[in-house]
Amino acid sequence: MVRRWFSAALMTLLTTAAALAADAPAEIKLGTLYASSGRFASISMPVHYGLKLWMERKNAEGGVYVKAFDKKIPLKLVAYDDQSSTATAATLYNQLITQDKVDILISDSGSVLTSVAVPIARDHKMFLIDQTGTGANFFTADNPYIALIADPVSSIWPKPLADFLTQDGPPLGIKRVAVLYATNDFTGTQASAVRKFIKESNSGVEIVFDQGVPTETSNYTVLLNNIRAANPDAVLHLGYAPNDIAFLRNVQDSGVKFKLLFCVYPGIETELLEKNLGSKALNYVFTYVPSSQIAYETNFGMSLKEYSAEWHKKYANAQVEFGFNSVAGYTTGLVLEKTLATATSLEQLELRRAMFSLSGNLKTLDGTFELDPTGAQIGEITPLGQLVVDDHDHLKIVTVWPHAVATGKPIYPRP
Amino acid sequence: MLLYSVLAGVLFGLYFSLIGLGLNLVFGVMRIVNLAHGDFLMLGAFLAFWLFALFAVNPIPVLPIAFAVFVAVGLPLYYLLVPRLLKAKDPEMLSFILFFGLSQVIEAVTTIAFGTSERSIPGDQLGRAVAAVEGVFIGHEVENGPVEILGQTFPAAWVASGIASGCAVLLVYLYLYRTRLGYLTRAVMDNREEAVATGINVHRISALAFGIGIGLAAIAGVFAPFMLGSITPAMGGEVTVTAFAVIIIGSLGNPLGTVLGGVIYGVSYMLMQSYYSSWANLLPYVLLIAILLVRPSGLLGRQVRRA
Repeated sequence: MVRRWFSAALMTLLTTAAALAADAPAEIKLGTLYASSGRFASISMPVHYGLKLWMERKNAEGGVYVKAFDKKIPLKLVAYDDQSSTATAATLYNQLITQDKVDILISDSGSVLTSVAVPIARDHKMFLIDQTGTGANFFTADNPYIALIADPVSSIWPKPLADFLTQDGPPLGIKRVAVLYATNDFTGTQASAVRKFIKESNSGVEIVFDQGVPTETSNYTVLLNNIRAANPDAVLHLGYAPNDIAFLRNVQDSGVKFKLLFCVYPGIETELLEKNLGSKALNYVFTYVPSSQIAYETNFGMSLKEYSAEWHKKYANAQVEFGFNSVAGYTTGLVLEKTLATATSLEQLELRRAMFSLSGNLKTLDGTFELDPTGAQIGEITPLGQLVVDDHDHLKIVTVWPHAVATGKPIYPRP
Repeated sequence: MLLYSVLAGVLFGLYFSLIGLGLNLVFGVMRIVNLAHGDFLMLGAFLAFWLFALFAVNPIPVLPIAFAVFVAVGLPLYYLLVPRLLKAKDPEMLSFILFFGLSQVIEAVTTIAFGTSERSIPGDQLGRAVAAVEGVFIGHEVENGPVEILGQTFPAAWVASGIASGCAVLLVYLYLYRTRLGYLTRAVMDNREEAVATGINVHRISALAFGIGIGLAAIAGVFAPFMLGSITPAMGGEVTVTAFAVIIIGSLGNPLGTVLGGVIYGVSYMLMQSYYSSWANLLPYVLLIAILLVRPSGLLGRQVRRA
C-alpha cells in the first residue's frame, strides 16, 4: 500500500516537473527604452546602464530564478532608442508590447518619457515597471498596471525641503521663498507639493515668486533678475540636470547672490554638475540627498560601495557618470529579480501582486522599497542636504533635514 | 525689469544673429537650406570644450582657429555635396533631406566621441578675456565678473558674445560690400544663371560662402556653452530651427535682416520670459507664423522671395 502510494506521488511529482519544464520559456524578455541623445540622455543612459549591469550579472550566473517555473531562466533585453522624443517613445512602447511581445515592460527614465507609457501599458493590461517616472498623476486607484521602483513619487520628494523651510527656516530668518520650476510632470508636481506644504504649515513663510518655464529653457539671466527683484530669502529651482546647469551657470556669471539656493540635481548627479560648473558654483547649494550619496543598509543586492566599484570597472570609458540614476537602474533589476522569485506565474497582475508583497520588506542600496496602494513609491525618501567644499577642495554633501538623519548644520545665509 | 529684459534681449538676439548669419549666407548664395547648420555649431562648441579640457585654452583664441578649421572643412564638403544637389530638379527641397541626413551623421559620430552628457566651460573663462580687454581701454586692471550696461549687470560672456556677433556681422557686411569676392558673391545671390553667363566661377564663390557659413556657425558654437547653458551632441536640431525662424523673420538671403530678426527674437523672448515664462519657447514659431502671414518675404525682404 505504502509502495503504491509512494509510486503515485513520485509519478505526480515527475509529471508536474515535466510540465513546468516544458512550459518554461527559453528566456524572459524585458522590454525597455533608453535615450541615447536629446534632452533626457544624461538621465536615461545611467539608468539603462545600471539595468544592463544587473542583467549581465544575472545571465553570467545562468539567469534569474523564476519561481513560476522553479528554475533559472536567462534574461533577454529588448531595448530601443527613443532619442528623448515622446512621440518616438509612444511608438516603441507599442512595438515592445505588440510586436516583440515582451514579458516585462520597463519604461525609460524620467517622467516625460514615462508619461506616454502609462496609458499604453494600461490599455494593453501590461504591468509597467516605472523606473524613475515620478509624476504624481501617473498613480491612480483605478490603474493597477504601474509601480514606481527606484524613485519616490514627486509629491513627496520636496517634503523634507518644505519641512526644513517651514520649521528651521523662520528661526534662521527665512520668510520669503521664490519657486522657479520647469513645467513637466517631475518638477511641476514638486512645485505643486512645495506650495501645498508651505501653505498648510501656517509658518509665516510665503512664496513671493512662483513661475514655470518650459523644460527646454537654457537661459535664466532675465528670470534671475526678476527673482532678485522679489527679494527672497530662499530660491528653489526645480528642473532637470540641463536646467540646473544653465541656472547655476547664470547665477554664477550674473554675480547674483541668493541667501539660500536649492536645486534638484547637484545631489542627484553630482559628478555631472561638478564637471560642468566646477565645485565653487555648487558650494553651499542645497539639494536632495539621493541613494548615491547615502550608504543604506541592504538585505538584497550589492551595497553602494560594491556597486560603485562594479560600475566604474565596467563603464570606465563609457562617458556616463555615476550618480543617482545609475543606482536607480540597478535597483529596478533587483526589484524585478525579487518579483520573479516571488510570483507564481508571469501573468501581469500576478507580477504586480508579487511586487507589492515586497513593499516595506525589501531593502536595497536605494533604501527601503515601499509602495502605496496606487503603485507610487513612498519608501526611498530624499533627505535635504547642502553641498560644501571641504579642505581638500572636494565637494561633500551634508544632510541637514530631517534632524534624525542630519550629519551637520545648514550654512545660512550662503557666504 | 523692462529695461533689463530689453537689454538682455538685444545681447541674446545678437547671439542668435550670429547663429543665423551663416545659415542665411548659405541660403542666399545657393538657395539651399543647411539643416546641419546647428550641428556645425555644436562641433564648434565641442572644439572649444575639447581645447579647454585638454590644454586649458581660453575660448577667445579658439575663435579664429574654429573659423579657419571649419572654412577648411566647408570647402571640400561643398564640392562633395552641393554641385550634385544643384543639378536636381528641386534642390531646395532635396537640400532639406540631404542636410538632415548629414545632421544625423554628425550627431551620431559626436555622441560616440563625447558621450551624451552635458558639457561646459567655466563662465569665468570668457569673463577673464572681457576684463582684460576692458582693462586695456580703461587703463587699469578690471575685476573678472559681470559687466554693467546702463546701470544693469550682465554676464561678461553675454557681452563678449554680443561684441563678437557685432564684429562678425560687420565683417560679413564688409566682405559682401567692400571686396571683389563679395561683389561676386552678391552677383550669385542676385541671379545665379546670369552670374554663370557673365563668366563668374559660381562654384568657387559658393564654396567660399559655404565655408564662411559653417565657419560662422563654429564661431557661434564657441559661445554656446556660455549662452545656452551647456552643450550636447543633440543640441544642433533645436538651434537650427531657432536660427531658421530668425532668418525668416529678418528675410531669407539678407544678412542685415538676420541681425534685425535676431534682435526681435531676443527681445521678444526675454519679454516673454519676464511676463509669460511658461510660453517663452513658443515664441520663435509664433513669430515665424506671424511673419509668414503678414510679410512672407521677411521684414527686410523683397516682395517675392527668389527661390
